[in-house]
Amino acid sequence: MSWLDSRRPRYDAADKVTGKLLYPSDRTMDGALWVEVVRAAHPHALIRNIDTSRAEAAAGVVRVLTAKDVPGLNAFGIQVQDQPVLCHDRVRYQGDAVALVGAESRRAAREAARLVEIDYQVLEPLTDPERAMAADAPALHPGGNILHQGHFSKGDIEEGFGKSAVIVEDVYQVPMIDHAFLETEAGLSYYDGEVLVVESCGQYVFRDQTQIARSLGLPLDKVRVTAPFVGGAFGGKDEITVQIHLALMTYHTKRPARMVATRAESIVSHTKRHAARMYYKTGASRSGKLLAVQARFVSDTGAYASLGGPVLNLMMEHAAGPYLVPHFQVDAYAVYTNNGFAGAFRGFGCTQACLAMESQMERLARALRIDPLRFRQMNVLHQGDLAALGYPMKLEVGAEATIRSARRSKLWRNRRALRQPPASYGPSRRRYIRRGVGAASQMQGLGLGIGIPDYAEVEIELAPGPRATIKAGTTEIGQGAYHAYILEAAERLGLEPGQIRVVGADTGRTPDSGTTTASRTTYAVGNAILLAAGRLEQELGRRAARRLGWPAGAGKLRDGGFTGSGGWVALDELLAGQRVSARATFHVPVQDVEMGDGLPHLLYSYGTHVALVEVNTLTGEIRVVRLEAHLDGGQVISRTGFEGQSEGGIAQGIGYALFEEVRLDRGRFVDTNFDKYVLPTSLDVPVDMRTVPVMVRDSTGPFGAKGISETCMVGPTPAILNAIEDAIGVRFTRLPVRAEDVLQALREKEKKDEG
Amino acid sequence: MKVDVQLTINGQPAQFRVEPTERLVDTLRERAGLTGTKEGCGVGECGACSVLLDGKLVSSCLVLTVAAHGCRVDTVEGLARDGRLNDLQRAFIEEGAVQCGYCTPGMLMAAEYLLGRYARPTTEQIRQAISGNLCRCTGYRKIVSAIRKTARQRAARRTGR
Repeated sequence: MSWLDSRRPRYDAADKVTGKLLYPSDRTMDGALWVEVVRAAHPHALIRNIDTSRAEAAAGVVRVLTAKDVPGLNAFGIQVQDQPVLCHDRVRYQGDAVALVGAESRRAAREAARLVEIDYQVLEPLTDPERAMAADAPALHPGGNILHQGHFSKGDIEEGFGKSAVIVEDVYQVPMIDHAFLETEAGLSYYDGEVLVVESCGQYVFRDQTQIARSLGLPLDKVRVTAPFVGGAFGGKDEITVQIHLALMTYHTKRPARMVATRAESIVSHTKRHAARMYYKTGASRSGKLLAVQARFVSDTGAYASLGGPVLNLMMEHAAGPYLVPHFQVDAYAVYTNNGFAGAFRGFGCTQACLAMESQMERLARALRIDPLRFRQMNVLHQGDLAALGYPMKLEVGAEATIRSARRSKLWRNRRALRQPPASYGPSRRRYIRRGVGAASQMQGLGLGIGIPDYAEVEIELAPGPRATIKAGTTEIGQGAYHAYILEAAERLGLEPGQIRVVGADTGRTPDSGTTTASRTTYAVGNAILLAAGRLEQELGRRAARRLGWPAGAGKLRDGGFTGSGGWVALDELLAGQRVSARATFHVPVQDVEMGDGLPHLLYSYGTHVALVEVNTLTGEIRVVRLEAHLDGGQVISRTGFEGQSEGGIAQGIGYALFEEVRLDRGRFVDTNFDKYVLPTSLDVPVDMRTVPVMVRDSTGPFGAKGISETCMVGPTPAILNAIEDAIGVRFTRLPVRAEDVLQALREKEKKDEG
Repeated sequence: MKVDVQLTINGQPAQFRVEPTERLVDTLRERAGLTGTKEGCGVGECGACSVLLDGKLVSSCLVLTVAAHGCRVDTVEGLARDGRLNDLQRAFIEEGAVQCGYCTPGMLMAAEYLLGRYARPTTEQIRQAISGNLCRCTGYRKIVSAIRKTARQRAARRTGR
């Protein structure tokens, strides 16, 4: 039987429903110190003096650390090391760390943290990225305030607009939002002999190991990092959070140390989704051919680089969506400010660009009076076409298949009838209810793109039983990747999933499988599993020749055994009590052209979402009634996992559309907990969600599989905005769209309609 | 000043000597070693720390341990009996209601509370019942399915079918 596209429950769920599974925040050790971070009191200030004497004298305090206690490089950052481990002369955002207090209890650490006296010279915060770009703005970093910029064009943009019968132009604004993983940043550090161990919550233990070792001035082999199971991440734990601080405290005290961030500390300190202003102008011919797309992006990258550059690159790469456009121009800037700091977040720049582009597509379709999905289909990219940035789409393009699937759905076909409020609503309610249906299509680059090392090494060990162990360096952040590895391995090795286990994310025990990001793990680790399986078969072929006298030759793992030149033999017989293991590394294939860090991609996943929303014109309340996802992730590995990703992505897309915004007031965080930072609850997400796999098998994927963990959250937001326009005839260009925004817009519309 | 507190946790008597300001979630996690109960926000918004206190659903981050003196506390660790998962836990696994799992213990306690009060909850009642429990991974649909499935199974058992 095949394990592909199965609904088999994931193996790690049992330890999660019993509470047995230990997350980073659950880990402790006898004698562990609690570490508290003293963070900046101002979003922008110079440090004149730091006095730790009162904190050091406080009851229960073991050690207070400042910048002078950082033995190695006092800086970190995935791409550019511009963020201090502990600030010594200047703070650039409210979450900047200035000192660490290690104490016998959490309470003692917290109380002593208040006693660290920092003398600041307060500076005016830079809060508007477009002002921060100006030549006379004070520089937050030696290279100025523009972290990264990009300029690409194809064809002749003016010619494109000249030929266009319809042109739509607008500015879209998206806010900074928080990942809101349920488990805040946490970890435990300790010495195991001479090796400093950090059990933490990161999305790439090998890079964390490098960053810790670099800041502590230690050789790599004296630092071990683990992070197998984590309570959610979504990109927000990709950058360093607690790791170096924990290691530093253990390094100086030789004692175990613990950290668990409070929610407020988490929101203030970790990366965010980039707020952005997006200036769009798009043109199409009378017959519905998309002719020109011009975009200008200014993204607020906050105080430090993290992945602000690559996020901007993906915004540019996806600026024209999954469409063929002859004339294209994009100019983009990621700008330093004192507004927190931004980085990786599920969707990674595509989220922002797609919101703007899919709004533009909807408006063009309406202006041309063409069915919006038909309009998208008329302009969709196909294999072999040139993407907006001018490189060819070399692999299978599933964009059209997802649009076809959406057009076939009942939701789309019946959309006119569905605009009527249901009969169950009484006449007074019907009077105020408006319903609408909207759609959006998108593509999402998979993997890190050209120019950034992108590989996955795995090890498979076969043992008597027979049993198999997959050692992979990626983190199980909730997405179900380890379960996918087991299904992939079961399919390839001819074993039952129950015979396979995963050892994950431990620099001391697992190979480097790359980052747990960029929709890449099911694809990249899956491919490495297939390669390693091939090596196991070679070894088993040699064993069969040696032990069973089979003629030398190839063979296949199948049905719990090995099939080769001498027929089939049970694995246990062939292993004869011994273990056999093999390692292999898969390199994610890339484009031939290189246009900058990670730009462009070779691989993409695709999707089309359709939303049915209801707007109450009396209260302004928006309710998502139904949402459908038509997703091309190639061959589905776990159907339950596929749907789970999609449904969670829909919920996050609803949050982005209707609720979420981290507000800042002059660089200070206003919303620092879930009382004011509103997340979608079970009442805000429709039970009526449907996920349709559109399996356009990828010729480079394991069994034809690709990842969909980001695509699935990109489309719902513009689909909802398009549905709102369908319902009430109002185009929103700014997120989130709250009830008060709806009421105000309706009032303005009324005035305009009367005038 | 410390105070002696007696609790019955998952049917077992337990005694702690705590500061009057200690929160129940910390007593459970740090003293009793019951880390199944999670803390997500500390202000009663996320529901990850939900437990049953004398049968009532509470956020254990908002309950002082001294206020729970003499009470019965039921946590996720008490759902399985003799190593056997209960029907609700099995339904969560089978329906794919668990991803990162950090909200799961609180969700299970909220669902048990609902199922203790309503034998045949409607989908709307289920959505209401877990609306104080945030989940960032699943989109809630599979959680609602798991609770509905358990309700049906329990109802069928009660009527002997």
